[in-house]
Amino acid sequence: MPRLSLSKLLTFGALALLGAAAHAEGDPEDIIKYRQNVMKANGAHAAAAGAIIQGKVGYKKDLVDHAKALAAINRDVAALFPKGSDFGDTSALDGVWSKRADFEKRAKDARAKSDAFAKAVATGDAKRYGPKFKELVDSCKACHKDYRKEEK
Amino acid sequence: MATPRATFIAGATLLAVFAIPAPAAETPRDHGDYLFRAAGCGGCHTDEKNHGPALAGGPAIKTPRGTFYGPNISPDPAHGLGRWREVDFIRAMREGVRPDGAHYYPSFPYASYTRLTDDDLRALWAYLRRQPPVAQPNRPHDLPWYLRPRSLLSTWKALYFTPGAWQPRPDKDETWNRGAYLVEAVTHCGECHTPRDALGGPRRALHLAGTRDGPDDSVVPNITPDRKTGIGRWRKSEIVEYLASGMTPEGDFAGDVMAEIIDRSTSRLTAADREAIATYLLSLPPVEHATRKEKQKPAPGRDEFGF
Repeated sequence: MPRLSLSKLLTFGALALLGAAAHAEGDPEDIIKYRQNVMKANGAHAAAAGAIIQGKVGYKKDLVDHAKALAAINRDVAALFPKGSDFGDTSALDGVWSKRADFEKRAKDARAKSDAFAKAVATGDAKRYGPKFKELVDSCKACHKDYRKEEK
Repeated sequence: MATPRATFIAGATLLAVFAIPAPAAETPRDHGDYLFRAAGCGGCHTDEKNHGPALAGGPAIKTPRGTFYGPNISPDPAHGLGRWREVDFIRAMREGVRPDGAHYYPSFPYASYTRLTDDDLRALWAYLRRQPPVAQPNRPHDLPWYLRPRSLLSTWKALYFTPGAWQPRPDKDETWNRGAYLVEAVTHCGECHTPRDALGGPRRALHLAGTRDGPDDSVVPNITPDRKTGIGRWRKSEIVEYLASGMTPEGDFAGDVMAEIIDRSTSRLTAADREAIATYLLSLPPVEHATRKEKQKPAPGRDEFGF
């Protein structure tokens, strides 16, 4: 078996580390699928919360769970869009990466609005959480307007 | 029908869904203001994304047939409509003809605006006259050479264009007729949601059935009530909600072009008008027409996780 020189070992090691850093969260296609699933869950909880708030369905006691889930999912939405996950089967617009500071500001807004909604739901007062839900919905829409292409 | 203002206020109180009072600035001052927003004129005539002055000319609209720039429609005498008379405006909207007699490209949706009533056209004109003039020159459309002669447009019109105000259907109720008028004339949904043929004319058999070749490379969904490819599974209240907040029944949100239209137009309609649009859309014949690309199937011999 040929022996590896120390310098070769170091080079391979460094390359392997670089590779690991570049793919810290996975293969780009897998990241895209992962974020689509997370965003689907985000939407599903929003739709479920909306149905309860609008009185279409009962399940009032479950609202707090949907609100908690929304707050958890929106803790760092921007992290679902790492560099290199901009090609492939994604509906994300280029601005997600080219206007990163603004995109991250929007993600922080979603976090603030989902936190505020969860806090308001915890009070059990519909007069408080109704408007907070509307603010969260507006935050979602505003970000999709600028950063999400209509579905393909 | 009540005055638009009264209808708006009545509609606003019906908006108890999330119980948010509309900011004062969003209350339309009059019928012309309301129509201007409903018709989304600003979308093509104001470059909002680049903070361009109102009505002084719009952003590039990329289509499969070239890139169009909505012109200056502020009352500026040199670059806008400052020298126009009301009759010029009505002729432009109803017949798609400039004051000098040249034809407009159908990127200006006169095929829909022709259906506006005289009263509504006059209200829109009065609204435009009140806006501040902006001396900003127009950008010429960027078209392939074979589409540059405007004389070609008379052929297009002969093939696809029927001028004339919307005629209400006496066999349908007031809500349906209002919805039909909004969809087919004011909010001109079909301009994007109806696919076009090779000459850029609407394919009538696929009215509102969606297209993969929407403006700015967008995929425009089928909004006929087909259960498989359209909005046949949406409840009326869900369409109303979407037009108000942009949220779909799955909790997804409108993006890109449609999100802009919801912001500018449909979220500012009265609740009664959103209800009318939903009523009309769900009454249309369902057309099976898929616009989304098929999901890729996993390679043979592999299951969905690729093992």
